Amino acid sequence: MPRWLLTFSLLCLSFATLARGDELLSADKSIEEAVDHYVGAKQKLLGVQPAPLADDANLLRRTMLDLHGRPPTAAEVKAYQQASDAAKRREMVERLLAAPAFARQQGATFDALLMRGTNASLRNYLTEAFKENRSWDRIFRELLLGQENDPEQKGAIAFVKSRMKDQDKLTAEASSLLFGVNVSCAQCHDHPLVDDWKQDHYFGMKSFFARSFENGDYVGEKPYGMVEFKTTAGESRKAKLMFLTSQVFDEPENKEPDDKEKKAEKELLEKLKKDKKAPPAPEYSRRAKLVEIALAPEANSFFSRAIVNHVWNRLLGRGLVMPVDQMHSANLPSHPELLDWLARDLQAHNYDLARLTRGIVLSDAYARSSQWKSTDKRPSDELFAVGIVRPLTPWQYGTALKVALVNPDQYGADLAGSALDTKAQQLENAGRSFGDKFELPGEDFQVSVDEALSLSNAERTSTELLRVDGGNLLGKLTKLTDDREVATTAVWNIFGREPTAEEVQALESYLQARADRRDDAVKQIVWALLTSSECRFNY
Amino acid sequence: MTDLSLSRRNFLGASAATAATAAVAADMTSLDVLQNPLLAGELKQQGKRVILLWLAGGASQLETFDPKPGRPTGGPYRAINTSVPGVQISELMPKMASRLSKYTSIIRSLDTKNADHGGGARLMHLGRRDEPTVKYPDLGAVLARELGRIDSQVPDYVSFYTATEGRGNAISQSGFLGARYNAMFLTQGNVPPNLSRLAEISDLDHQQRGELRKLLSERFADGRQSASLASHNESYSRVRGLMASETLFDISKESQSVRDKYGPTLFGEQCLVARRLVEAGVPFVKISRAWWDSHGQNFETHLELVSELDHVMSALLDDLSERGLLENTLVVTLSEFGRTPQINSSLGRDHFASAWSSSLSGCGIKPGTVYGASDEDGRTVKDGKIGAAELFATIYRAVGIDHRKDYHVGARPLPLTDPGTKPVTEVLA
Repeated sequence: MPRWLLTFSLLCLSFATLARGDELLSADKSIEEAVDHYVGAKQKLLGVQPAPLADDANLLRRTMLDLHGRPPTAAEVKAYQQASDAAKRREMVERLLAAPAFARQQGATFDALLMRGTNASLRNYLTEAFKENRSWDRIFRELLLGQENDPEQKGAIAFVKSRMKDQDKLTAEASSLLFGVNVSCAQCHDHPLVDDWKQDHYFGMKSFFARSFENGDYVGEKPYGMVEFKTTAGESRKAKLMFLTSQVFDEPENKEPDDKEKKAEKELLEKLKKDKKAPPAPEYSRRAKLVEIALAPEANSFFSRAIVNHVWNRLLGRGLVMPVDQMHSANLPSHPELLDWLARDLQAHNYDLARLTRGIVLSDAYARSSQWKSTDKRPSDELFAVGIVRPLTPWQYGTALKVALVNPDQYGADLAGSALDTKAQQLENAGRSFGDKFELPGEDFQVSVDEALSLSNAERTSTELLRVDGGNLLGKLTKLTDDREVATTAVWNIFGREPTAEEVQALESYLQARADRRDDAVKQIVWALLTSSECRFNY
Repeated sequence: MTDLSLSRRNFLGASAATAATAAVAADMTSLDVLQNPLLAGELKQQGKRVILLWLAGGASQLETFDPKPGRPTGGPYRAINTSVPGVQISELMPKMASRLSKYTSIIRSLDTKNADHGGGARLMHLGRRDEPTVKYPDLGAVLARELGRIDSQVPDYVSFYTATEGRGNAISQSGFLGARYNAMFLTQGNVPPNLSRLAEISDLDHQQRGELRKLLSERFADGRQSASLASHNESYSRVRGLMASETLFDISKESQSVRDKYGPTLFGEQCLVARRLVEAGVPFVKISRAWWDSHGQNFETHLELVSELDHVMSALLDDLSERGLLENTLVVTLSEFGRTPQINSSLGRDHFASAWSSSLSGCGIKPGTVYGASDEDGRTVKDGKIGAAELFATIYRAVGIDHRKDYHVGARPLPLTDPGTKPVTEVLA
């Protein structure tokens, strides 16, 4: 029996533990080695020959979209292609990780994950946190316990606060986003399909949040209160403080206050609300207990595996477990050992997400071409043998449109350091504002017809994307007299690669047929390139 | 109306001619894999449509379909006989009273628990409570998917919400069905945004730049496979067809006599647009009329709003019926909740979800039936209590959709209505 099959069956027995350390590939391997070892082993076992690695232009675009949220400019692509250093890919990745744009992209990405990209204060917090590469366990702690009075943590607690009005939502989303487990099916009855999840789990998880409340601008927590629920058998039950591992936690005896104490408590909270002060912290905080449990060795595989799966999902276009919130014994990972290895590595290296990201991005699995040219049957996505085409996020597409329209003469190869970052940040801001109308992609994402109609007919498309002025691409293109040069420049600027002969020919003949209205024809070419799938997707 | 029947034929003809293979591929997502495609196809071919008249803010059941004359809760209006022996409705609806036996069934026993605008509106759009980690599609998105054609050139789901009041509760979400089934949402005027070509580009150039876009995108899609990628090209392939549907929103194409029947109000005009849309094949149209939230002066408010509803709704049903469209078109009136039997000190009625009414007319409905009853003062449901799920199951069944079917998101089955939900068969034809 191949080793991965063996662990596969072992996993069924004990899903939630990471006890198989000695069976895993050595911990001193690099992340990229481990990724390629496990991904390659499964391909080999199934006799799948993976697609070749993507070319330089493609790989730079993919990596920059993932690490900086924008595609490269033509000058950046050309510089990367010209470099002949054997370590150029590693150097490129290191350079991207060290730049401020990486923290911004991480902030936007995690705000999208945790809040569907809607919470600016959380995004600001995350961006600042990623600037100093704050560890994921610390960010997790601050998401659940962040103190509003502490400028470093302010913003983090928005994760809890924004869900405070609906504790079922808070319970379900915290479980699924932070631990990869959607227990909401077990709210009304034991999970119908997954033996792992019982009503006790749902209400056990809810108990960790049930004492939290909003008081004015602050999140507080009461020192008393129990969650009660009705089982499907009709029995009323007091929920135990139970984590997803089924561990039950005792807590200090809590006394329900009498009416007089309740009245005093209410008055105090009203006063604190008026004075804009935080409610007193309870001696025993259930939310703090949850943080402690989740990070303790017996339980933290949920925590580590969930974040590894999210990062993998984001970078590869598909999680090692899909759907990402269905990590349970009836839904095994595509590569169980790899998930375990990466989770162990993350724990051993201080939950350093930049390190995890670097390793995955440097792997061959990440770098496969998304085009399948072989006559063999196309391998399924979960083998990661062909790159997966991913829709851009709204801010990525918005920024990609803005980057594409920059006059190449004003964004040359000499732009670097803080000048480059300032320019990039301007484009990101403009792109974000242009992109707010696009939808945030999720699983099974479809591009809406609203987007197509808007980019086809909206006034803003005409005034903002197809404006001719000296400072932008259209300004440059409309001054060129040579059709071939127009075609080549447009493709380079918008797609970030050398055009093919057929593309040049198609664009040239388009221009020639409309020689009587050449400026319009140039605009239409630019429109066609901007709205083409190549610009809309990360591939 | 020869011009209109022509345009209808054009639509149906054009849609088949331009069916793109990408469009078919995009629809074959992991959703709905267990569904028999043949059966689904047959149902869709029957061309069923739904028009939802959304009475935003909460219409009073007592001043519409469930009057309590002579009771302390009854208010000032009388009840009048309808064309159905023994059934009375409010005197504010004389036109519907005379048409009840012809078109309409009344449900008087909704008990939906949620009397908060936001929550009630969500419940009555989704037919179920929100679940935190699943984004359910609303009624329009489900019907757009079930009744629409993959290669359709007309919109699948059009939603008018031009009233400012309550727009925050104007629910519209395609949820896990994907953006393909998003509403074409109108909040200003009666023509959807971005349907018209800007003057600066000629129609020919607009079309040809689209073809250039397609050429480039097809080159890119070669050797690549993704449902999202297919949907991108599909959404652009629908642009020209949707632009051509702009005339459907133009009621000046109708004769003056037809326009006069609906009347010159915004609600009336939108209902006329709705008729034009369903005639051209749009599977779901929602018209929102606001604002029924009469905490004060309930009776003046309802005098105005119910009279208008009575007029416009009967004009719409007559028009659909005369054109032979009503047998395939279901018209629903619905709010987020009803209003309290108790009349408050401002002569208003407050939010009330314990015993209220909805009406169903046309397609799949046994006209003249009344289902359920509230008690003599209208405070509780006395007979036939149902919730949102049962009402939705009834709507689905009326247009030929199996309410027990599952969608699949990944491996997870998501039933169209919660298991065990029963439609109100008493009102179904």
